[in-house]
Amino acid sequence: MKLFYCLLFLISPFAYAQKTVSGKVTDKKGNALPGANVFLKGTYDGTTTDANGTFNFQTSQKDTATLAATYVGYEIFERNIGVKDNATDLSISLEEIANELNTVVITAGAFEASDEKRMAMLKPLDIVTTAGAAADITGAMQFLPGAQRVGEQEGLFVRGGSGLETKVVIDGMIVQNPFFSSLPDVQSRGRFNPFMFKGTSFSTGGYSAQYGQALSSVLLLNTTDKVNNNGLGISLNLANAGLNYDYATKNQSISAVAYYGNLKPLFALVKQNVDWVQAPEFKGSSLTYRLKPTKNGLLKVYGMYSDSHLSMNSSDPLSESGKTRLDLENKNAFFTSTYTDSWKDGRWSLNSGFSYSRNNDNTTLAAFNFDRFDERTQARLVLSRLLSGNNTLLIGAEAHAIRLKNGFGGKYYKLNDRYAAAFVESEIYITRQLAGRIGLRTEYSSLLKDANLAPRLSFAYKTGRYSQFSLAAGQFYQNPDYKYLYTDKNLHYERADHLILNYQIIKNQRTFRIEAFHKNYAQLVREYTGQHFDADPYRFPWGETNNAGKGYASGFDFFWRDQKTIKNFDYWVTYSFVDSKRLFQQFEKSVTPTFISNHNISLIAKKWIEKITTNVSMTYAFTSGRPYYNPNNDKFLADKTAPTHNVNLQASKLQNVLGNLVVFYASVDNILNTKNVFTYRYTPDGKSRYAVGPQSYRSFFVGMQIMLSKKARVTKDDI
Amino acid sequence: MKRTILTAFACLATVCMVLAQNEKYTQAMTANIQALQGLDKSKPDAKALQEIANQFERIAAAETKEWLPKYYAAYSNVMLGFVGVSLEEKDKYLDKADALLKEAETLAGKPNDEILVMRAFQSQIHLAADAMNRWQTDGEKFNGYLSSAKAINAENPRIYYLEGSSLFFTPEEYGGGKKAAKPMLEKATQKFASFKPESSIHPDWGKLETEWMLAQSNQ
Repeated sequence: MKLFYCLLFLISPFAYAQKTVSGKVTDKKGNALPGANVFLKGTYDGTTTDANGTFNFQTSQKDTATLAATYVGYEIFERNIGVKDNATDLSISLEEIANELNTVVITAGAFEASDEKRMAMLKPLDIVTTAGAAADITGAMQFLPGAQRVGEQEGLFVRGGSGLETKVVIDGMIVQNPFFSSLPDVQSRGRFNPFMFKGTSFSTGGYSAQYGQALSSVLLLNTTDKVNNNGLGISLNLANAGLNYDYATKNQSISAVAYYGNLKPLFALVKQNVDWVQAPEFKGSSLTYRLKPTKNGLLKVYGMYSDSHLSMNSSDPLSESGKTRLDLENKNAFFTSTYTDSWKDGRWSLNSGFSYSRNNDNTTLAAFNFDRFDERTQARLVLSRLLSGNNTLLIGAEAHAIRLKNGFGGKYYKLNDRYAAAFVESEIYITRQLAGRIGLRTEYSSLLKDANLAPRLSFAYKTGRYSQFSLAAGQFYQNPDYKYLYTDKNLHYERADHLILNYQIIKNQRTFRIEAFHKNYAQLVREYTGQHFDADPYRFPWGETNNAGKGYASGFDFFWRDQKTIKNFDYWVTYSFVDSKRLFQQFEKSVTPTFISNHNISLIAKKWIEKITTNVSMTYAFTSGRPYYNPNNDKFLADKTAPTHNVNLQASKLQNVLGNLVVFYASVDNILNTKNVFTYRYTPDGKSRYAVGPQSYRSFFVGMQIMLSKKARVTKDDI
Repeated sequence: MKRTILTAFACLATVCMVLAQNEKYTQAMTANIQALQGLDKSKPDAKALQEIANQFERIAAAETKEWLPKYYAAYSNVMLGFVGVSLEEKDKYLDKADALLKEAETLAGKPNDEILVMRAFQSQIHLAADAMNRWQTDGEKFNGYLSSAKAINAENPRIYYLEGSSLFFTPEEYGGGKKAAKPMLEKATQKFASFKPESSIHPDWGKLETEWMLAQSNQ
């Protein structure tokens, strides 16, 4: 008898009657979800929903069970149900997991290019494949909405801002000398290779409280965490020859680069508008070391050194011959190290860095000494905490020590500045559709003996699955151009207030974006000389100065990109409009400054031709006329240059040569040979003038990159 | 005496139930693995694949100590990522596969070559979904997982199959192509010849795919 009971006990679970569990799975809006997994937790009983989202399965569970439903991209659903009898007509509604399609992102003013963000409008590769950008990061940024092209100067001119109002930031650290030394009426290139970076974010205003000392814009560059390819690479082109070597082990990697360049051969082939006495010759090297000491920790150390020299006869309206000889010898060193780590599943994260840069320009102009020396040491620490619901809180601080020396016609000026800043910022998701970012930054400069408080605010509201509105506002402070501070130590910060409204749709590899902005400039430096305006861009200020200047810039920009309609064909169109007036520097009244062009249009088209593994790219850039100073016109800065046009073409071909990847590239800039004029300079008597144009009109460039990579093919040793 | 007998019965009952449960697990796994292997590998039916993935997930939810159901659920989701129509859809499945593999790793307790191979496979399909933008990051992950797998068990034939298939689908300009893939696929074939899975439900896939690719390479 006992045995019987025991057997019954064994059999009993299988002896219960089968019961039906049925119902329907939908999303929060009531749309059926076919293919969802519905089951009783801890059992094998369950099924997949059909095309109508309905399910129906049998179970032998008794009393109660946990009903679970999963669907890819949705949160797991669980609920206790009674299964004493059939459980029918169950309705399950699943919530979508937060992702970039259903959660708003704060985007006003930012233009991102990164590998990580799927919805990025630009990818790092776009920088090197854009014709006319000459594989220069800032060169490519000039085609983006909000940027204005100023052909005779380096720097990014953003929404009515001057080139000095944009800061280049690498891994959170301000780069003191992002461009090669400035030359009269020649646009210098950026010092950094685009392949160093995994992501670029070009902010055209309203940016985070993490960054300061920029009235207009920040260009944020994030270096790669790993080497791209193990092995040796060789680059050869008309201007330089370089070697790079990458080596990686499990937790460490190293990249070394060395190059030598001489522009003499290129200048012999391409007619120059600049009178070179000695074409630029440069050499440099860099070393990167990366270490992963813990699971999430990463230490990056980057050091570079370069030197260059050149001589030219620059146009000079002040000299009798119309020319002045300039000799420049530049030595530049930059060292930066960052450590990032995160703990507790990313709830805490740390970003810290230390950097040192030193730049020496030995310049003689007409046999006078115009040496320039600068040095910047900085440290930065940012701690962020991820709170529930994706809200974040970030606090950080940075400190800089800046030392400057400048020679002006034999006289030396010196400056020391200690600059410190602290910031706090929080991102708050009110709902998945509405998010805000509130930040506050405070800065102190020992030179100005002054502190400031800069609030920043952004909001973003998602209007649909692919579209959203953003709004950003904030105050931005920057120390006045150091040339004013050499003589006047009583100056204060210059200030800009930004207001930005943005609307964008990103859908199916097509992007539409429109942004309107208004910027108010205040506390700009004014100089009172009591004399006529001096248009010499290299003049040393000697008049009385104060912070009585002001101005505004307002306008809108438009961006459209389509990578979908035609296979392997990608094009973008940008249009930027800005209206701006300022009363600053030696201006006697509020007028449009010389670096402003009201209309900028760029058209960029790229075609990948699979058959011949070649990428062909074309750009057209239009910049409307800019004001220039004409001493013969009683109205100040009332003359305007003619608009400039530029058509560029570039092709790059991938080829496998003996198992190694080789990239050949060729480009033609200004293919129509348009004689663009950027500005005019007048002799002091106003009787004659000369035009400042590009360094050369139509020009071409060829080169190649060889990657001697072991990884790309199988060798006998692998077998 | 009475108590001893009762205890013995109780033990027997428990053992029976555990065995029955084990039997049920193996049976369910075997049936579902067969269903997965029975699909057309070049273009599997998404609906059937989804049902198989769901079944593995149900087994995984019940058998909370086994890594194999998670592994196979991940495998099915990688395949779903492969057949997905849009990048958005592909990524959903591939992200899910990635999460499942991380859970499988935790359950396995120690580094496991099969899970690493599956993670490499996931990276490969993730790369293929948007090759232009992902070849750098995913290519590196792919190589990393395979070399870790090799360090644990260099005899795992799927390592060489994946290396071969990666070369097979890489354009010749980048050092790939059918010719470059051939030696690696031949090596995979060799390893498959001597490979014995640990049990009837342990990973044992890739042989047919290798044979197909090798036949293509010989053309």
